[in-house]
Amino acid sequence: MALSPEAAQQTLIAFQRFGLGAKPGGPAAIGADAKAAVRAELDIPNIALITDPTLPGYGKACSDAQSGKAEDWRWKELAARFDKHMAVQIGFVERLVMFWTNHFAMSVNKDDEVRGTLGQWERDVVRANVLGKFSRMLQGTIAHPAMITYLDNQDSIGPNSPVGLEWGVGFNENLAREILELHTLGSQGGYTEGDVTALAKILTGWSFVRGWEADNGYNGGTNQNRGRFIYRSDWHEPGPITLMGKVYPAVGQQQAEMVLQDLAVHPATAEHIAFKLVRHFITDQPTAAMVRPLKRKFLQTKGDLKAVALALLDLPEAWAMPLTKLRTPQEMAIAHYRALGARFSNDDIWALSAPLDALHQMVWEPPTPEGYSDETPTWLNPDAMRIRLDVAEFHNRVCVGYYEGNVVQLADSLFDAALSKQTRNRLSGLDYPNDELVILLTSPEFQRR
Amino acid sequence: MTDDRAKRLPEAHLRCAAREGCAESRLLLSRRAMLGVTAGLFSWAYMPRFAEAASSDPRLLVVVLRGGTDGINMVVPLGDPHYVSMRGAIAIPAASTIPLDSFFGLHPAMPKFGAMFQAKEAAVVHATCVPLRNRSHFDAQDNLEAGIEGKPSVSATGWLNRLLTALPAGAPVKTHGAIEINEAPLILRGPAPILGWSSTWFEAYRNPGLKRVRTLYQALDTQMYDTLERGLEANRLAGGYDDSNISMLRKGFRGAGRLIGAAEGPRIAVLSVDGWDTHSNQGGTTGFMAEVMSELDTAIDDFKTAVGAAWKDTVMVAATEFGRTVRTNGDDGTDHGVGTVALLAGGAVNGGKVFGDWPGLAPNQLYEDSDLWPTTDLRAVFKGILRDHLGVAKNLLNGPIFPGSAAISPFRNLIKSSAPAMAAAAGSPAPLRMEPGIARYRRENPA
Repeated sequence: MALSPEAAQQTLIAFQRFGLGAKPGGPAAIGADAKAAVRAELDIPNIALITDPTLPGYGKACSDAQSGKAEDWRWKELAARFDKHMAVQIGFVERLVMFWTNHFAMSVNKDDEVRGTLGQWERDVVRANVLGKFSRMLQGTIAHPAMITYLDNQDSIGPNSPVGLEWGVGFNENLAREILELHTLGSQGGYTEGDVTALAKILTGWSFVRGWEADNGYNGGTNQNRGRFIYRSDWHEPGPITLMGKVYPAVGQQQAEMVLQDLAVHPATAEHIAFKLVRHFITDQPTAAMVRPLKRKFLQTKGDLKAVALALLDLPEAWAMPLTKLRTPQEMAIAHYRALGARFSNDDIWALSAPLDALHQMVWEPPTPEGYSDETPTWLNPDAMRIRLDVAEFHNRVCVGYYEGNVVQLADSLFDAALSKQTRNRLSGLDYPNDELVILLTSPEFQRR
Repeated sequence: MTDDRAKRLPEAHLRCAAREGCAESRLLLSRRAMLGVTAGLFSWAYMPRFAEAASSDPRLLVVVLRGGTDGINMVVPLGDPHYVSMRGAIAIPAASTIPLDSFFGLHPAMPKFGAMFQAKEAAVVHATCVPLRNRSHFDAQDNLEAGIEGKPSVSATGWLNRLLTALPAGAPVKTHGAIEINEAPLILRGPAPILGWSSTWFEAYRNPGLKRVRTLYQALDTQMYDTLERGLEANRLAGGYDDSNISMLRKGFRGAGRLIGAAEGPRIAVLSVDGWDTHSNQGGTTGFMAEVMSELDTAIDDFKTAVGAAWKDTVMVAATEFGRTVRTNGDDGTDHGVGTVALLAGGAVNGGKVFGDWPGLAPNQLYEDSDLWPTTDLRAVFKGILRDHLGVAKNLLNGPIFPGSAAISPFRNLIKSSAPAMAAAAGSPAPLRMEPGIARYRRENPA
């Protein structure tokens, strides 16, 4: 154990609060200045990207989603994602990716449109912008077929549009409501029911090309744009529309883009996102002292997410508050894999999904548009704590098999001087090292973050 | 309108999608955190008990049948002259059904429920439906669980949780009643403490390692320690690791029975059963839906056995978000409909009866020319059970639990002997919507 207790504690915070869990030797590698190491991760070129040429681009993902390949791509995307989780040293950027994916929560179980494109969306929209501008992530998300489908905007038609008048059909408010409540301003963010309706009208015509449209050339569909976003001008509600006191002129597709641009830099959005970041990374009860610096940075930089992430790291509480949150099931699974140096096999992907299903947090399958909870009691409940023990055993048997290593040595290399003596004392002396390994994987040091 | 134009209509597209299979179905599985057709999520609440309440010790199991159950082929209206012609290839032959009364026969895949019915420990309410009738799984399930007229918003609370919060304060809540805000179904969501238990198939982590983990938590983290201990205790009560080689669904029903049957256990349990979305190849006497019904039938019987002596104080009610179309579709299945059944079982049920007004299956008797006309609001069934089995007062039923439902009278006579009414004074009923975190922050930190 090379580190002082103080330095080891800072590495614990780096790996637990901000990262994906240490790999063996992790604390020793960053122990000289853990905070600087976390900051430095943001400067590594392309740190957020998954550059795998075998994964599909936008057009292919959209098209394949409609030709029976959605499930295949989902698993390939998941495998690539977990490879990335395993590869990085600390994983702060990965945690940010997971945060934003959950912010714009979508479920692959909605249908094949989401199932086949969510991985591509996460790579090309979330990862591409996770250290860039929030406005670009927002625009890229709302104009993606996955979100259009997930929140039911594809058949949203302005009642006074040419098609609306002829067909007598109307618009759907789901996407508009969740943009305001979940994606940007947040609850009590100063908008009204009337604003929800106005945004819904502004978003009429934002759709994607369904298979039957591409097959038959209907509604602007072709073989070339199969599955992709399409703006249908004859479905769009005509005329200027007022939202939150501002008149947005009738400029077609750009009308919604102007709204999204304004929402992306709105003070309520800045506050909402600052609040959520603090709640996710630091505490279930964010205070104004923690939220305001992030909000200020967000507004100063017009939503530069790298600057906001750095502001999060600069909060005094970030490195001082005790680790009172609990790793989510996904974070716990990833931390297990990293500690063990092995994950599920691509041929046995059920070994990923079964534990996460049992703990109710399978990747890309949130139950509602609110996403998975960021509050500790959701995960720290009696049923889940019991299941966590079984999952730790399952992971070490499935990923490692019969463990022949020395668990105390592994624990020292994962936690250095931050390993409690109570935990350390329990990691030896049993007949089977696998049983000792479970103790390490379920110890408070391992579970809390 | 030309044919060509009709094909471009979104509605036409949606009908195509419905025939191909229901895209919503898979989402239903995940949003309710199920493991599949034969799996069940299970949660329970510790219910306050009162000296002034019923002299017995009532138990309630609420089963949500997810996917939209075809009540017409489960409890078959043999006496309706239009049944056979409407159902065609999937009509259940009268001779194969289990007789319930002079008009209805039970599907042969449910012999155990049939035996309970004949022993007057099971009953059916026919032609019932939730108040929201738009044939969307999500909306209708949310409507059933939220207990309101329309679609709930995000962060909605469930009526069972509001029941718990609305009951008068000062009652001796079981000391080991703890908080669980897991992926509990919406019906239980809210501020009242809910404890959960799930049937899982993992190998149990056992001693000597388990003992070390427990003492480690005790030494380092009392919150984790207390929580784990409650989880282990719940699993012990439920016998979670004892059942092997049976489905997750049956494990769930057995666990539920053991838990609410235990003297120290909870008094209300909730379970979900998936697999009712029978768009194609539904089957008749045998086939897909028959298998799902058989599994449910076996599971209900498992529950009866597991609940033991408490069966006499028990009511199970199984309800679904909607029924199926009266006519079959082109794929020997049925599409999303409206009216359907609710099933009741338990020693406290006034059994042996098919309750409800039968609306008829003639074309001019159907709801929107498609579905079984719902003659009973499902809230009336729930309200009847809460009033007569648990003794819940009217002001609570019409106020916090099923707001705006004063015009929907509690269904009478579902329970053998009515419980005396509890005190009418309310506790602190949960609101219809939990306050989102950002809203709370803004309230506490005004700009």
